[in-house]
Amino acid sequence: MTIKDKHRLRLPFSAIVEKVEELDEQHKLFTINVEENLLKYKPGQFVMVGLPGIGEAPISITSAPLSSNDSIKLCIRSVGRLTEALHSTEAGSRVTVRGPFGNGFDMEKFRGKDVVIVAAGLGLAPLRSLIDTIRTDKRRYGNVVLLIGARNPASLLYKDIIEEWRKEGKIDVRITVDVAESGWDGHVGVITTLFKEDLYIDPTEAIAAVVGPPVVYRFVIDELLRLGLFERNIFLSLERRMRCGLGKCGHCQINGLYLCQDGPVLSYHDVRKLKEAI
Amino acid sequence: MKLALNHKDLLPFIEFLGKDHALVAPVEDSGRYIFRSLEDTADITTEYKQTPLPPVKFIYPDKEPILKFDLSDDKHAESVIEAPSQALLLLRPCDINAISIMDEVLSEEPSDLNDIERRKNTLIVGFECATPCRENALCFDKGTHNAKSGFDIYLTEINGKYFAEVNGEKGEKVAEASGFFNRALSEDRVALDNRRIEREEKFEEVLSGNTDELSTLLEGAYDNELWEKSSKKCVSCGACNIVCPTCYCYDVTDEVDITTNHCTRTRHWDGCQLRNFTSVATGETFRKSKSARLRHRVLKKEVYLKERFGRSGCVGCGRCIDHCMAKISIIDIYNDVFEDKGQN
Repeated sequence: MTIKDKHRLRLPFSAIVEKVEELDEQHKLFTINVEENLLKYKPGQFVMVGLPGIGEAPISITSAPLSSNDSIKLCIRSVGRLTEALHSTEAGSRVTVRGPFGNGFDMEKFRGKDVVIVAAGLGLAPLRSLIDTIRTDKRRYGNVVLLIGARNPASLLYKDIIEEWRKEGKIDVRITVDVAESGWDGHVGVITTLFKEDLYIDPTEAIAAVVGPPVVYRFVIDELLRLGLFERNIFLSLERRMRCGLGKCGHCQINGLYLCQDGPVLSYHDVRKLKEAI
Repeated sequence: MKLALNHKDLLPFIEFLGKDHALVAPVEDSGRYIFRSLEDTADITTEYKQTPLPPVKFIYPDKEPILKFDLSDDKHAESVIEAPSQALLLLRPCDINAISIMDEVLSEEPSDLNDIERRKNTLIVGFECATPCRENALCFDKGTHNAKSGFDIYLTEINGKYFAEVNGEKGEKVAEASGFFNRALSEDRVALDNRRIEREEKFEEVLSGNTDELSTLLEGAYDNELWEKSSKKCVSCGACNIVCPTCYCYDVTDEVDITTNHCTRTRHWDGCQLRNFTSVATGETFRKSKSARLRHRVLKKEVYLKERFGRSGCVGCGRCIDHCMAKISIIDIYNDVFEDKGQN
């Protein structure tokens, strides 16, 4: 049964969880069969995932909109009532999905340009969709550098996948952890310390995509501006309490803007005008 | 269409409406006036003062089911839209203006299907107030003491009868079908004009500046200490949100009926003044301070809604002043920014 267009964003459809992979104590990767019910999505968009009787939560899509198969991947941290309940679901069980919501990254703006991707913490989840989109069509982009920051080596998300990206060599991957543990021989320091080394990009032409917890934006943007990137070329994906997804319920409002509809991806040029944004 | 209705025909007309509409009207109840479902037309009062809750509540209710799930099967959710035919009677201009703002906001795509369906099945009969209802009203400053749209029929008392302005097909049909209305005579039009001129004299401005400048001034006052000062006594109860006829923020909760295995997703009003309104699961609260929340409420009405829809979202009904536990007054806030402008 397909859902009528007018109800697309409003009516949760029932979807089967195909696979659940445990990434670490806090994070699981869910593969969800959405059949023909989810419209084509873009990197940076999100869905409302739910369990009837418990509720819904906004989760960004971590898979890239490439393959023709009907499933999406969601990387979910167990942090609230709903996500905790999702963590106890298994392959074969059902969840509800609405969406996709938001604007997502405008890939046209990235084409032909050098790209700086800054992923702090769980920010790598939505950015993986962007990274995979770029990787599969790399010749259409310039030099791509990915800066990843994690609190410690244990909390580094997608370790195996990052290793694959490294081996593949299409993108320049650099990782730092705030605090090292024994056995870690990589870079140590907050994410901005990765800007000390040459990123091999043309700053006046480069596009940046930044996703992370609220605290990192200011510092990362300062570094990008210092490098010489233009405000219009720096894209951030912000987090708020998306509830309805329809630009009505008010929870995700940042000044006059509804992040669920007008975001979550905004250029720094626009974010700068919003006093409540970062 | 301009019609007239004799005094004696008001209640029979309402009874006529009652045949195929649920009736909602202002009644006196324990010494105050409220809008409620009407059981007896004799309970109606045309001389009511401001009700605590606005009549828009019957179009955009405080609580309503929006979806239903059957937990025992794998089907998709079904939408629930309850929109019985109803007539909201004797609404004041401020409340009519509020409904027309809500119409615009909630029909912006992606629209609110529940509201739109309910609105479609709602007949609005306005009744012009003769005088300002109390000193907390700032409708005159806002120009919302008059209603130009948002109603189907709008009654104004003139010389022993009611002048009836009828807006659109829904109002015209019902007025004609009832058989109680006559064409307005030219003397009725003159009487209406005279009454309106006299009525204007009875209203007084409570704001010290031009309301057209409010949005620019408030935006300029974003970092002003006035928000800290005004919100000091705020108890974050959200009463201002609940009584506001243009507040539409909501939250949803799932209610499970264990015996039937059905789940109903219910939406209920929420309020931007409540502490956890912007909290997310990771623990972050994006509008932490009372002053930021108060500023958001005021700027949402005067700046953000104006940017989107070209008009202010505050109709000056003054309910937020009446029901504020901390006696925070929107009039004082507006006058503060006007005063600041004078000093700069």
